[in-house]
Amino acid sequence: MTATARREARRLPRQPGEVIDRDRRFEITWCGRPFPAYPGDTIVSALAASGVRAFSRSSRYHRPRGILTASFHDPGCTVQVGGEPNVRGAHRRAEPGMVVSPQGVWPSLGVDLKAVSQLVGPLMGAGSQYKTFMKPVALLPAYQQVRKRLANGGRLPADPRPACYDKRYAHPDVVVAGGGPAGMAAAVAAARAGAGVMLVEEEYELGGHLRWGGPDELAALAQLRVEVESEAGIEVLTNSVVTGRYEGNWLAIVQRPAPGGPIEAGGPQAVVERLVKARARSLVVAPGLIERPYVFEGNHRPGVMLSTAVRRLINLWAVKPGEEAVVLTANSSGDAAVADLQRAGVEVVRVVDARRGGGIVRALGPARSRRQRAREALGGGLEAVLLLGGAGGVGGVELPGGERLECDLLVTAVGWTAPTSLLDMAGDRPFYDERAARFLPGGRLAEGVLAAGGIAGDGPLDQMVEQARAIGRLAAGQRGEVPASPREGHPALFRSSTHGMVDYSGDVSSRDLVAAVREGYDSIELAKRYTTATMGPSQGKLEVANAVAVVAEATGRTMDETGTTVWRPPYAPISLGALAGPRHEPVRRSPMQAWHEAHGAEPVVEGQWVRPGHYGDPEAEVLGVRHAVGLMDVTPRGKLDLKGPDVPKLLDLVYANRWAGRAEGAVGYGVMCTEEGVVLDHGVTGRVGPAHYLMSTTPAGEATVWEWLESWLQTAHPEWKVHVTPLTAAFASIDVAGPRSRQLMERVVEGVDLSPEAFPHMEVRRGSVCGVPGCYMWRLGSTGELGYEVNVPASYGLFVWETLMDRGADLGVGAFGVEAQGVLLLEKGHLMVGQDTDGSTHPFAASLDWLVELDKHDFAGRPELVGPGRGGGHQRLVGLQPLDPALVPPEPCLIVEGEATISGRVTSSRRSPTLGRSICLGLVAPHLATPGTVVTVVLPDRTRVGARVMEHRAHFDPEGVRLRA
Amino acid sequence: MALASSAWTEPTGFTGTGGREKDGVGSTKAESRGARLGRVARAVGEATRPRRYSAGALVAHGVTGRPWRPAWRHHELGSTYDAVIVGAGVHGLATAYHLARDHGVRKVAVLDKGYLGGGSSGRTSGIVWSNYLTPEGVRFYDRSLRLYGELSGELNFNVMFSPRGHLTLAHSDASLRAMRWRAEVSKLHGVDSEVVGPEEVRRLVPLADVSSRARYPIMGALYHPSGGTVRHDAVNWGYARAADALGVEIHQGTEVLAISTAGDRVTGVTTNRGEVSTPVVVSCTAGWASLVSDMVGLSMPIITRPLQAAVTEPVQVLLDAVVVSGTLDVQVSQTDRGELVLGASPDPFASYSMRGSLEFTEEVAGRVLQLMPSVAPMRLLRQWSGLCDITPDLSPIMGPTPVEGFLVDVGWGTNGFMAGPAAGQAMAELVATSRTPELMAAFDLARFAEGRLVEERDAAGVGH
Repeated sequence: MTATARREARRLPRQPGEVIDRDRRFEITWCGRPFPAYPGDTIVSALAASGVRAFSRSSRYHRPRGILTASFHDPGCTVQVGGEPNVRGAHRRAEPGMVVSPQGVWPSLGVDLKAVSQLVGPLMGAGSQYKTFMKPVALLPAYQQVRKRLANGGRLPADPRPACYDKRYAHPDVVVAGGGPAGMAAAVAAARAGAGVMLVEEEYELGGHLRWGGPDELAALAQLRVEVESEAGIEVLTNSVVTGRYEGNWLAIVQRPAPGGPIEAGGPQAVVERLVKARARSLVVAPGLIERPYVFEGNHRPGVMLSTAVRRLINLWAVKPGEEAVVLTANSSGDAAVADLQRAGVEVVRVVDARRGGGIVRALGPARSRRQRAREALGGGLEAVLLLGGAGGVGGVELPGGERLECDLLVTAVGWTAPTSLLDMAGDRPFYDERAARFLPGGRLAEGVLAAGGIAGDGPLDQMVEQARAIGRLAAGQRGEVPASPREGHPALFRSSTHGMVDYSGDVSSRDLVAAVREGYDSIELAKRYTTATMGPSQGKLEVANAVAVVAEATGRTMDETGTTVWRPPYAPISLGALAGPRHEPVRRSPMQAWHEAHGAEPVVEGQWVRPGHYGDPEAEVLGVRHAVGLMDVTPRGKLDLKGPDVPKLLDLVYANRWAGRAEGAVGYGVMCTEEGVVLDHGVTGRVGPAHYLMSTTPAGEATVWEWLESWLQTAHPEWKVHVTPLTAAFASIDVAGPRSRQLMERVVEGVDLSPEAFPHMEVRRGSVCGVPGCYMWRLGSTGELGYEVNVPASYGLFVWETLMDRGADLGVGAFGVEAQGVLLLEKGHLMVGQDTDGSTHPFAASLDWLVELDKHDFAGRPELVGPGRGGGHQRLVGLQPLDPALVPPEPCLIVEGEATISGRVTSSRRSPTLGRSICLGLVAPHLATPGTVVTVVLPDRTRVGARVMEHRAHFDPEGVRLRA
Repeated sequence: MALASSAWTEPTGFTGTGGREKDGVGSTKAESRGARLGRVARAVGEATRPRRYSAGALVAHGVTGRPWRPAWRHHELGSTYDAVIVGAGVHGLATAYHLARDHGVRKVAVLDKGYLGGGSSGRTSGIVWSNYLTPEGVRFYDRSLRLYGELSGELNFNVMFSPRGHLTLAHSDASLRAMRWRAEVSKLHGVDSEVVGPEEVRRLVPLADVSSRARYPIMGALYHPSGGTVRHDAVNWGYARAADALGVEIHQGTEVLAISTAGDRVTGVTTNRGEVSTPVVVSCTAGWASLVSDMVGLSMPIITRPLQAAVTEPVQVLLDAVVVSGTLDVQVSQTDRGELVLGASPDPFASYSMRGSLEFTEEVAGRVLQLMPSVAPMRLLRQWSGLCDITPDLSPIMGPTPVEGFLVDVGWGTNGFMAGPAAGQAMAELVATSRTPELMAAFDLARFAEGRLVEERDAAGVGH
């Protein structure tokens, strides 16, 4: 017998419903050792076929954990696969070469030193972390270090390879959540009624519980499969889950790779996970039922399994789940598990029937002799210890009265939980049905949401399928009666006479919950938060009913009075990658950006745009503008085209100064305030036609101002006739600035008289530049020099730029960048919104009083600016010059009085090449704003220097003679 | 509850007969719920101080199996109190605790329509920091942060204060400038806060993409070593337990329906459990502050907006510090359990809805991946939403109102949890002495009418 063959000791002969392909065997690695697997195997089924019993250690006590549900939600089967943490091993298909390892154990699964925490187990009851390690304060960081070492999740890859996640929008008429018999039948009926249907199934195949059923179920499944396949209107997504339902049936569906499906595993550009966002007319919720674990001492031991887990292992993957079994059954699923076990050759030591009053007390550990036998079956030695996960497995069971039975498999079938999550998200509140011993939908469903299948009621398969078909027709918009679903009685079994695990992933026992209630945490929400029950990876799907039952028992309230915790989205975990999707956030480039970079410009990313910072010598660029002519690419400056008869009303509303009655060709400068009266943006607007205006904004303010205008137009004044069109990128914008700028413009402009009389400062004209018609020319002077801003259609931007460079060569034309522009503005004392203002700067503080016309009827921010105390107490923006002309204080430095009274700050600070000294702008308290005052500036190294408040904010040409030339 | 209280008279533990009764959770079916609660209340009322928590007590209880005493008691609603506090969150409970401890005012009822700590105090991401922008803000939050540092010992309840460091990232020259400004203000007030470069960010946050390839490259950060996290539920519980021990009554499931006044004076409150007379009502609510003020005809300059958050499945701990980026509008931290906690600024509209949206999770995931691309495989486990009351200057409203006896501690926006301890201390002083402590003087209601706004806008954006 080879080692590999021995490893498959628990693989059964071919089963009728098995999903594995026995012709193609491959290997996966677990704990560094090879194990055989077949296509169709999950990681866990492949390993279980070789006798592996333990797949993880629990989070608090580090006890070994085995198979419980053999499904996605199996809390003990979370493993690391290569660089991917937290893989659901009982769900994820095995693939050739997969490297699987246990998570959070040290040094290994078999021998986990963290399991020492079991020794202090009794001291580690719920909430114990709140009761100690409070002192001494100096040791707190050390406690923290220890705590975080105990975190139990997987590891992120050290060197992440970029993976592909994507998104899809879908608009199906009907989404069916759950591809079991009810979901399949509802989908078929809806499709036959003419609806486009998306059928979403969590597992890799449709069929739900029929897949692990007997011949009748398999036949019914085959029939339903044919029906689904023959309906062209059904799109099937397997390995996918409807994970959230939001207003208006806006659905989030997580789609994972499935063989043969729209996403395939493997391949170089494989999509790891996709978020499908669907707006559906109807949602049919048919997730079936989740089998509930039973609470009793030892229920955490590997070898304690639910009846559905046993049935899945045997029928889907042909895995023998144990050798000698005791079965506690309260329903047909348990009975069917008994039959399956017997057929699989498992010795069923005892069937304990809860319907006849039978019960179990506790699961026992294995006798030494049994451990020995198990080891021998696996070849003995350390490897066997490792595979078995130590001595924690089931070795027997104690029945009421003290009778003890030996077994290595303890199966429970004690009832169901209806996963009402999607219904809860649609506004429903489930209620506890005593007869059925489970929570059922409350029936207060939002329009377009229907429940079908086991979640809604019981009954034989035919009846359930018929009901689902009726619901499918309803979902498709047809009228009709839905037969009522019967509710079968079921014994109420939540906890045995002993205490055991309620929340497997959080290691929270019923004892912890009872203790929490006794300590005052006596509502389900408080008990949950105190113990962390239901807050782990399965988010209550397995444990919520038991938690409610234990809290109800401990408080003496009924299940219904105790209530459930609120199921919040997402129902199934979804990767951050899929939620984010591919990120497309391009950087915007002007048509001239390539030229800038080819001419040595340092690219600077500013918000959405990349811009030329400088071309090597910003001081020379400044002097070039002051003495000759400079060109700057100002394309990012926001440009909004405003058309319509009501534009002046809009301008009067958003700007603090008056706009009505301006002549064609006139340009105004204005400041906009938020409703709090704070400076929002500033810029110029020009009237270019009878009912046509162009507005400019700061580069950063483009989107904000556009939204601001639209919000007023759409909410406060929908009756105004104004169209706002953002044209920022439609035009390339070039600042032509400097004493020789008119000379240069005269060489390239046609059809516009550029003489100072015909085209004075603060006017706008339309004409042809370098032969390009339809350009706007603004006469502006933010640099303080004679200047023009030229807007040319973007496709001609580079041509016009190069032509200007060429035609102005003899005038000394040169390009200047953002850096030089900042110095030029500062020399002129012009403020920069966001630098010289902040989230609290009123226009008065920005010394823009002349732009605020409070006698105007109304404008945005006016109420805040006219109230008592307004205008007087604000800081003022003033020009500052450090007493030491060589000192350039960094931005921003605080201005203080005394030791720690903050009286302002330096907002902008540069060396001025024009003046040969440092110059600043600063916000100062009003009593310091008097020219000549020397204020104290604190440098980062805490030294204090003096700076003088200047008479003008403009450090250069305060009278503005040059720009009016 | 019932048996937990009887445990005090039976120190040997439970001696019931049947299997279940042995665990002390049985109850007589015939007994009505009301009678049961009454019995519980009487039994519980007999005990006063809870037993101290300590490692030794933990061992003693572990070995003997003896149950712990309840952390707080249930009471019948009384007819008269010296003060009624509306809201059993961190603010309300801290106020009650300080009233009883510092000022001897013990006839105090804390009323909450839900369970204690179930509002915003139970929904916060538990992040605390104090390097705000305004001197008023820095002073206040610095006091609070210091109180948090001592809270576990003070309350004898481990609130898991973890000064793991708080980083506000800068992605542009403009935000670096704003960081330097905040750092300067903080330093002047003795709060540790400094601007660090990308290399230091890489050291502190190994997960961060500090390359220049990033769409919003990390150019530096404002580093605040003493900021960090606190286990928010533990703060609520710790205050509740300590306040209860001092005689304060905490009434869960007790909704204030009306506040009665005589002239301009508060005289009492009407609840779903009956009428109470009191000269002082303190509103410590978040999300419902304007509705409570409406009961005395007072309009608050507050807009209520949902604030969403989400957590992922756990992975091994890789992220020590709390990381905030205003540009990307995201906040991320990792709990000791290994979960990533993700947050952003409040939803951009007024609403009382507490349902999470899909758009939030998509946005926040996209942003966190821009900062930390390697967390893409981490799966989102749960999302939730809370309410925050936002004032025009993003600063709170604390102190007296035109209605005598109606005091407010509201409008905290996203900063309420951080402020809890200092706010409780200050509000208690106000209630007990009728004098407004200097620490909170700037946050009075009158400032909105008088134009004295406290502008915290540039610092209070994404921090909560």
